[in-house]
Amino acid sequence: MEALVHNLKLSWHSIKRAPLPYALTLLILSLGLGTFFSNATLYYWMNRDPIPEKSQTLFMVRMNSVPGDCTDCFEPPRVMSYMDMQKMSGSGITSAEAAMYSSNAYAKTVENQQATPSQVELRVTQRDFFKLFNVPFLHGETWPDNNARMEVVISKNTATKFFSRTDVVGQDMLIDDQLYKVIGVLDEWSMLPRLYDVNGSRSAEPTEDIYLPLETAYDLAIQSNTQNSFFDVDWDGDMATYPQMARTNFVNQLQFWVQLDSPEKVQQYQQYLKNLVQDEKAAGRHTRPEGNKLDNILNVQKALRATNDQLDAFALVASLFLLVCVVNASHLSLNRYMANQYEFSLRRALGASRWQLQSQIMADVLLSSVLAFVAALVFAQLGLWTINSLLPGTRALASWDWQMLSVMALFVVLISYLVTLYPALKTSFSPLNQQLKQ
Amino acid sequence: MIQINNLSKIFRTDLIETHALRQINLQVNEGEFAALTGPSGSGKSTLLNVLGTLESFDQGDYLLDGRSVKGLSDRELSALRNEKIGFIFQGFNLIKDFSLYDNIELPLRYRGFSSAERKRRVEQSLETVGLAARRDYHPSQLSGGQQQRVAIARAIAGEPRILLADEPTGNLDSLMARQVMELLEKINQQGCTILMVTHDPDQARRANRHIQIVDGQLNDSSMYEPLAAGA
Ligand SMILES: Nc1ncnc2c1ncn2[C@@H]1O[C@H](COP(=O)(O)OP(=O)(O)OP(=O)(O)O)[C@@H](O)[C@H]1O
Ligand SMILES: [Mg+2]
Repeated sequence: MEALVHNLKLSWHSIKRAPLPYALTLLILSLGLGTFFSNATLYYWMNRDPIPEKSQTLFMVRMNSVPGDCTDCFEPPRVMSYMDMQKMSGSGITSAEAAMYSSNAYAKTVENQQATPSQVELRVTQRDFFKLFNVPFLHGETWPDNNARMEVVISKNTATKFFSRTDVVGQDMLIDDQLYKVIGVLDEWSMLPRLYDVNGSRSAEPTEDIYLPLETAYDLAIQSNTQNSFFDVDWDGDMATYPQMARTNFVNQLQFWVQLDSPEKVQQYQQYLKNLVQDEKAAGRHTRPEGNKLDNILNVQKALRATNDQLDAFALVASLFLLVCVVNASHLSLNRYMANQYEFSLRRALGASRWQLQSQIMADVLLSSVLAFVAALVFAQLGLWTINSLLPGTRALASWDWQMLSVMALFVVLISYLVTLYPALKTSFSPLNQQLKQ
Repeated sequence: MIQINNLSKIFRTDLIETHALRQINLQVNEGEFAALTGPSGSGKSTLLNVLGTLESFDQGDYLLDGRSVKGLSDRELSALRNEKIGFIFQGFNLIKDFSLYDNIELPLRYRGFSSAERKRRVEQSLETVGLAARRDYHPSQLSGGQQQRVAIARAIAGEPRILLADEPTGNLDSLMARQVMELLEKINQQGCTILMVTHDPDQARRANRHIQIVDGQLNDSSMYEPLAAGA
């Protein structure tokens, strides 16, 4: 310990001797690391399991049963129709199931009717949604069934924003000029990545503000703002006929999620879907081959080809940039060590073994690591801020937990060591006498 | 104490080979104070560096305390430098932003002494060179002679068997040079073997043995002669 303190003191001395080159080395290193970290952060959040306690049991269903003459369409559409959803519901195999889509609206409170309404993000869904994804309630609870009702569940932030408090169960809200009653307020909840909504690469966005019953949304013609595909639909666009039309045609906008608690259930459910679609085909409603998909929640990004390519590109650039920075920093660090070569040789002449020099160098690495880590975090924050302004969809991902921080710290030590390794070896192994002659 | 047999050292660069030491035989005995003189470029520093294991050699053998230094590992060599040999350089080679105390303490740290032991030794050697009062000074605050005395203190703090001094007074005026010489004599009287390179005939005369080197070869007549007049 005392030796470590001594070695740190020596490192500090050597920095003080030439502070500018040292600062430059650190700057370059932490710039590279910072850029790398900001990407790694997004990458980490995008690729982690958001719900490890039950991710094995959550599946998204896609049915290959849309009309049209296509005998080699093996890939089902990403979204399904109301009719499909109806047929699928109530199988008895799932322990929770909910259809859903996203939309947006303008909301205000009844008390504050004069105010300009604020835009809110809607999740149109069914009773089991909260059970499926372990969504915590702060007040109230979910709907008792899947029927249409003018009742909403809202997020904690929404409650605070509109009512300045959280316990607002029973309060009224105007959403797109319709009056709803708040029946539940969620606790703090974010699901990262938000894998129930990967269609259109939306999984990095924050969770929604307001949760609205699916039947009500159909009644009020609230449509998906992500994907709404019409297959063979003949509709004149009269909104009064929308609820009826959307429920009886291939207006595909729903994603359907189920919880299947065992592999046997998964198999059972697959068979169930297969039978369903075959019956449809037998009834002449479609000509598609068998191609239903039951994708586990951890595979949906790949299944929907919704991986974020921009992020991948950024990651590549950041890695290359880090490489360039490391090479440059090594070069600067080599210069620094060469300038201190004299002292290293002197130490060797006074009887320091190469190993003892190594421990001096390790102290140097440690000190540099601490400084570089702090600076890299600052740059990483700046980097995240920049990326988020370029890709607004990643806002929710810009934070670190302690595990990430410790991995990053370890990485900094490793890189700092790498940067110091060659100079250190070179100085430790150079001939002794030249330097000491003056 | 020191025994070298047929030792040769060749410096090779891309273009030329310099035979810095040719087939040298030399024995230095315990307690001797030997002066090494010779023209510039004759190989004095090279010999001293080889003896101090700061430099390797090409042929022959070097036995320190009866043990060959050939084939010693880095660890063993460092320990040898650290424990048995004290080196004094012409250019002092003190670390400028260290206090005198820290400078002298440095080799003791590599030895793994406790901090109490280090303190005792640093203080004692500062005492020996007469700079005890300035332990917290920095080298730049001292005169050249004082700096060289600090370097001597650093060299003797580990109580080495042999002190190798390469022109320890080369950079000093005659008064300071005399002080340093007196100090070395005192150290020698306490039992430390000293081998000193010098250009100064007076100093060479004061040593109890005078070895001459010319063109990488020892002058035979100087071998084991107590002290030749005139050098
Ligand atoms: N690192 C080296 N590379 C090549 N040649 C060297 C090297 N060091 C010394 N020499 C050569 O070896 C010879 C002996 O050099 P050395 O330094 O031992 O001389 P010296 O007797 O100490 O001279 P001075 O009195 O000037 O210090 C010289 O010819 C010198 O040029
Ligand atoms: Mg010389």
